[in-house]
Amino acid sequence: MSILANKDTRVVIQGGAAGVNAARRMAEFCYLIKRPLTVEAFVYPPDAGKTNEVPYGSGLIAIPIYKTIAEATKNHPAINTSLVYIGADRAMKGGMEALDDPNIKVVSMITEGVPEKDAKLLGTHARKLGKVFNGPSSIGIISAGACRLGVIGGAFDNLVLSKLYREGSFGVITKSGGLSNEIIWICSQFADGITTAIGIGGDAYPGTDYVSYLEMFENDPQTKAVVIVGEMGGDLEERAAEWYGAKKRRVKLIGVVSGFCQESLPKGMKFGHAGAKEGMKGEGSARSKSDALKKAGAIVPPTFGALGPVIKETYQELLKSGQVKEPVEPAVLPKLPKSVEEAMKADEVMVAPLIRTTISDDRGDEPCYDGYPASELINKGYEIPHVIGLLWDKRLISKQEAEIIKRIMMLSADHGPCVSGAYATILAACAGIGLSQAVAAGLIMIGPRFGGAVTDAGRWFKYAVDNKMNVDEFLAYMKKNVGPVPGIGHRVKSLRNPDKRVKELVGYVKSLNIKTPCLDFALAVEQVTAVKKDNLILNVDGTMAAVLVDMGFPVDSLNGFFILSRTIGLIGHWVDQKRQDSRLIRLFDYLVNYAAPKRREVPPLK
Amino acid sequence: MAKVLEGPGMGLMKKWGIHVPNYVVVTSTDELTKLGQANDWMKTSKLVAKAHEALGSRFKLGLVKVGLDLNAAVAATKEMIGRQVGSITVSQVIVSEMVPHKEEYYCAVKSTREGSEILVANCGGIEVESNWDRVKRLCLEVGQAPSAGQLEKLSKDAGFTGPLAKKMADFAGKMFTCFESEDAQYLEVNPVVTRESDGELVALDAVTLLDGDAKFRHPDWNFPFAAEFGRSYSKDEMEVMAVDSKIKGSVKFIEIPGGDTAMLPAGGGASVYYSDAVVARGGKLANYAEYSGDPPDWAVEVLTEKVCSLPGIKNIIVGGAIANFTDVKKTFGGIINGFRKAKGDGKLKGVKIWVRRGGPREKEGLDAMRALKDEGFDINVFDRNTPLTDIVDKALQK
Repeated sequence: MSILANKDTRVVIQGGAAGVNAARRMAEFCYLIKRPLTVEAFVYPPDAGKTNEVPYGSGLIAIPIYKTIAEATKNHPAINTSLVYIGADRAMKGGMEALDDPNIKVVSMITEGVPEKDAKLLGTHARKLGKVFNGPSSIGIISAGACRLGVIGGAFDNLVLSKLYREGSFGVITKSGGLSNEIIWICSQFADGITTAIGIGGDAYPGTDYVSYLEMFENDPQTKAVVIVGEMGGDLEERAAEWYGAKKRRVKLIGVVSGFCQESLPKGMKFGHAGAKEGMKGEGSARSKSDALKKAGAIVPPTFGALGPVIKETYQELLKSGQVKEPVEPAVLPKLPKSVEEAMKADEVMVAPLIRTTISDDRGDEPCYDGYPASELINKGYEIPHVIGLLWDKRLISKQEAEIIKRIMMLSADHGPCVSGAYATILAACAGIGLSQAVAAGLIMIGPRFGGAVTDAGRWFKYAVDNKMNVDEFLAYMKKNVGPVPGIGHRVKSLRNPDKRVKELVGYVKSLNIKTPCLDFALAVEQVTAVKKDNLILNVDGTMAAVLVDMGFPVDSLNGFFILSRTIGLIGHWVDQKRQDSRLIRLFDYLVNYAAPKRREVPPLK
Repeated sequence: MAKVLEGPGMGLMKKWGIHVPNYVVVTSTDELTKLGQANDWMKTSKLVAKAHEALGSRFKLGLVKVGLDLNAAVAATKEMIGRQVGSITVSQVIVSEMVPHKEEYYCAVKSTREGSEILVANCGGIEVESNWDRVKRLCLEVGQAPSAGQLEKLSKDAGFTGPLAKKMADFAGKMFTCFESEDAQYLEVNPVVTRESDGELVALDAVTLLDGDAKFRHPDWNFPFAAEFGRSYSKDEMEVMAVDSKIKGSVKFIEIPGGDTAMLPAGGGASVYYSDAVVARGGKLANYAEYSGDPPDWAVEVLTEKVCSLPGIKNIIVGGAIANFTDVKKTFGGIINGFRKAKGDGKLKGVKIWVRRGGPREKEGLDAMRALKDEGFDINVFDRNTPLTDIVDKALQK
């Protein structure tokens, strides 16, 4: 047997994330004692109509979320208990809603910082209705082997260590959430464990006090002794003492009270709990409480540390008198399935990775590029081209190489609004399309005819150089197997109207006195092709390709240089249109050559 | 409980129709001089000047001056502002009109488990403290307001007669309305006096304790709450409070000068048992501290740094019960970072650290603490099998 929470308890949780977390803890306990999940519903208006997924063993249980308590209890008539995890400013309303539901008999409020008046109103209302209001600031209620309400009891391992899977003989009532687990543990180590442990909350006026719970324990034949953990302030412990001393009680009472240090501390010092405030004129001091309990016949150990031995002594007496028997421990207990992470940490499973990366890792406190922390790269003077080198070619390029890349990017960042990429982005921007999609529209234009020839140009120049071809052999090979030479030829530029970008780049690279076999070859090709036709000059794609291949960049990365640089321009065009608040544009009819058939009659459908 | 100084306390009473003397709160003599020109009552009435700080026994300290004219009030203000009393520097003075009176009475409203209690006595000042049996009470259940009849009976029971009985009943009724509407936990006026000029009852002094948790529904609470013990908060204490106000969970820190045992325990309940154990062992606490509710590691780190900075400490008690959901590894991570920082700053020399804890990821957390030994910390680590406060016994063993 137990009190408040038992095998018939069915729960609705009022609240969001904290409530879901509690449900998870409660599911762990249900799994340990091999019983179905006690949580049947949530009430959380923002998510009403959805479900919360609660792990149970290795599976997941979907728990419905409702807008009101009434809806929850209508759909789940077995619900008789509510746990309130709502913020302090709305907690009273939520608590009242639960108390007013005819199906709900116990309401436990976990919320902290609830105004005192609200807590009193809730407590009074519950008493009038003959229901139990526990809390606020309650860590929860747990009945060993039967039911857990809230996170009380801690992690799964602790549930097992504290033998919460089966009933003991000790009841526990505590204001402190943190100490509830400690006492449960002590009861399991020095005696046979607990029946029910209740966190009543550390506020000045808990909704239900020690006396009401002592009365319930007195009427629960399985509970043979009750441990109360008190603290200075208020008169709850004195009332408990009064109750205990009033007549012969079946249960033994063991009590400890904290706050003796108050006698030697600055006056008015505030302790951890709201309720732990010193009383006026000495009332409510730890000493007066402790004395009252002793006088009433309770067992009061001198310190918290002495609690274990006192509990042990009480248990031995209960054993001797035959009131309790040594418990029988189950042979096997369920083990909580580990998450994949935990199992891997314990070297229990091996998982085949889904993807493999060789360039970057941000699992630490900052990203590492090819192993180098980003901040260290910054602090040691490295720049964007070096990051490109690390991420595209997995190497730290030289200062000189970085300068070349920088110049390539600067030269190809934009080419005015008329080219395919920029025009597509502008068209999209004018249609009100967002930045990433509009820039993507521009990037989609990059292909064999616009900006996308860098990779191919690099590939074939490299092929020629690697195979030690001369220009004629190369041109013959290309004509036979490939077609026009990528990187050669321009729509508007020609020998007489040279591309200044090409001149600039070639001039700079040649001034460096480095080996540039591909570039040299490309220029030699131009010598031949430009003679054949004026505009068959080495274009900017071809120049970039040759230079980058000479630097050792992999052929497949080459288009990336154009894509990256031109993205700068495309973003600029989008922002530019946005800034001007440009309107939707469409082609004028006179810009279209309507070569479609003239209007004609549609034949009947056959 | 949140204590409110006299000025804002009287402001709340005035808001609910309780007569209070005219008063001003000033931070300089210039301000008072200017106000004196603007307000007739300051020129025509005798004045009282009091240091407007959370200080006990102001009278004895010479921080209350009565029977002043404006010039004397300016002089008194000049004398008080900037005066150092313990760790408090007087920065505000409340100057109020003296209300000539013959009789003094007492009225208070306090929070009780059932609801509230109205206290009335037909004596006031020091007299009521020595004649506590003359205080009559009216107990009210929460949500219940006193009827006119109940109030009048209370007033008559306390010995008020004739028209004064009705006036005292009204006064107590307004006190209750103020208490109820402002989420107060304690309101006391001592003394209540009859103003000779118009025969009205006036509150000459206000002790106001409000429910800080109810601040969310009182947008006009624009005053700061006063420190609840006779000193202002230190810089480190305020820094921890600032952290506390913006995190999930809590961190608390109060300095106790002169102690040598520093406290860094977890949990509002356990922390007091740890403090008790130190005192019981004859140790001297250097602080009170507590972290709970699974606070973020950086918040615990800040708290740790403050604890390590306490002067003259010999032991640090990193105690704690078996946590329900506070992640031991994570919170200990914050403590470990704090220890490392303190050590790097040359602190913790000769300081012994004592650890006891249980809860989620306790093994990882305790192992990480144990590893600090290799970094040269004098640290002793115990798990759940060592009773809660035994580390205090070990630390303070002579």
